[in-house]
Amino acid sequence: MLAKNVMVADMVTALADEKVEDVLHKMRSAKLRMLPVLDADRRVIGVVSTFSVMERVVPSYIVTGDLNQIPYAPDMGVLHRHFEEVRGLRADAVMDAKPLKVQADESLLSVAAAMISYKKHEYAMVIDDDGCLLGIISAGDVLDRLSQDGLIDA
Amino acid sequence: MHNGAEHAAAHAASVIFGLDPTWIAVSILLVVYGIIMAEKFNRAVLSMLGAGLMILCGVITQHQAVAGIDFNTIGLLTGMMVIVTISQKTGMFQYVAIKAAKVVKGSPWGVLVMLSVVTAIFSAFLDNVTTVLLIAPVTLLITDALGVRPYPYLFAQILASNVGGTATLIGDPPNIMIGSAAGLSFYDFLVNLTPIIPLILLVMLVAIWLMFGRDLHASDENKALVMRFDESEAIKDPVLLKKCLTVLFLVIGGFTFAHALHLEPASIAMFGAAALLLLQTLGFPLEEKDHVYESVMAEVEWTTIFFFVGLFIIVTGVEHTGVIGLLAQKTLALTGGDFDATVAAILWVSAIASAMIDNIPFVATMIPLIHSMAPTFGGADALVPLWWALALGACLGGNGSLIGASANLIVAGFAQRAGHPIAFLTFLKHAFGLMLISIVMSHLYLYFRYLT
Repeated sequence: MLAKNVMVADMVTALADEKVEDVLHKMRSAKLRMLPVLDADRRVIGVVSTFSVMERVVPSYIVTGDLNQIPYAPDMGVLHRHFEEVRGLRADAVMDAKPLKVQADESLLSVAAAMISYKKHEYAMVIDDDGCLLGIISAGDVLDRLSQDGLIDA
Repeated sequence: MHNGAEHAAAHAASVIFGLDPTWIAVSILLVVYGIIMAEKFNRAVLSMLGAGLMILCGVITQHQAVAGIDFNTIGLLTGMMVIVTISQKTGMFQYVAIKAAKVVKGSPWGVLVMLSVVTAIFSAFLDNVTTVLLIAPVTLLITDALGVRPYPYLFAQILASNVGGTATLIGDPPNIMIGSAAGLSFYDFLVNLTPIIPLILLVMLVAIWLMFGRDLHASDENKALVMRFDESEAIKDPVLLKKCLTVLFLVIGGFTFAHALHLEPASIAMFGAAALLLLQTLGFPLEEKDHVYESVMAEVEWTTIFFFVGLFIIVTGVEHTGVIGLLAQKTLALTGGDFDATVAAILWVSAIASAMIDNIPFVATMIPLIHSMAPTFGGADALVPLWWALALGACLGGNGSLIGASANLIVAGFAQRAGHPIAFLTFLKHAFGLMLISIVMSHLYLYFRYLT
């Protein structure tokens, strides 16, 4: 089984200069948690996810300052203020610029292994030799395919 | 060293290409210090390269290089790093910072004073960089709640960490090096340096009030928000907290009585570190014990440790050529061999130099220089005021500019990420004058205490 047999080729994507607000709207209406970000040549340059937006909304001094969990702090309206700022940014300012990329002819084993070992990515971007996006494989897609194969075998 | 020339002669034969060892050693030192100042490469890598060159070029042998490393300084630094790494996980520093802000009912100026005092006290017993790494994020959280601009708070914190760090033997790396090289104990520092520190901090705070304090305002709503912080939630592991406090208390007590017991501080710090590592995981399964131990070791700042090791070797190389002794004679010639003038010169030169360059290599070079002045002033005991001048100058000088101390840059980094960057020139404008005031105060203190 190869990546190109498992990937979902029918995708919703975002452009680098799209506003975060619009990207979030797209995600909401398509019921997705992430969108690949493409440049003008349709090359994948990153991934905007609900998580990558939230990383920008939480003040960075909390995250980088080893505070991590601050059960002692009340809600201070700081998330709201930051969200207002982040909404107006470009997609490429909030994206994760190092998404997991795999080749179309990689085996499913290789893709699944990369997803769990390379910083735990829930999605893999399937690209061609020029770096253009062909499709996406989610952890769910891998598991779905395995259970379908199981049914066929049975 | 007075017999530096003999050393040089003894090793001239082994020096690469038969070059003059003095020039090689001095060139290595100057090039390494120069590149460190440019801040384009990791300073530990540079100092290790310089140390390696000293040996590879034949200025000193590996044996001499290793003998030149002050393992008391290295052991004390490493031991304290381990203890602090474990202690910071308990949340006790966040607890104290929040408690301090609530004691003054969230009043903006009160919070600034309290956080500065807390920073100064922590800096006196912990590494300054560690202290600001712990306090600056909580400060930003509190200023966010208060709705005030964080600059005055972070500015005060930088000053407080450098002033507080000057107070004790373990407060700042230069003090550790000076104490170790001059045989001055934790108690000596308490009696001789600590008394002037609260006064300097007080003057700094008055100046900060005149500059910023009068304009700090927060609404009652914002103050109420600060009061809603629940510091008891900050303590993540009460059992570990008790262990840490016990070890910290015993280690600091140990430092105070070390001299009377003929113990060096490194032995106490390393023993405390080992004891806390054992206590921390008591009752854990073996696999988890190893895991916790590995993670503590990974967080120790090995970069700083290796930086020190390399520096000690570089300075030893230069010392062996007799150049430092020569420099000491020149300095004495300039001050006319007058003790008062020498104290003043060391204080002011250290302060200005430390404002511009890393004070650690500066102090590493000054130590053998001051040592070689002993014959002029009648023995090692007579040098003591010079050591205090070096400590005050090198530590307080760090306040002179944003690059004067590592802690300053750490705070600036947080300010940048919080969207309130501290500009180099703005800081210089606000801080340089205050640094000069602290040096004038130190000068008066040294004069009235030791020179009249």
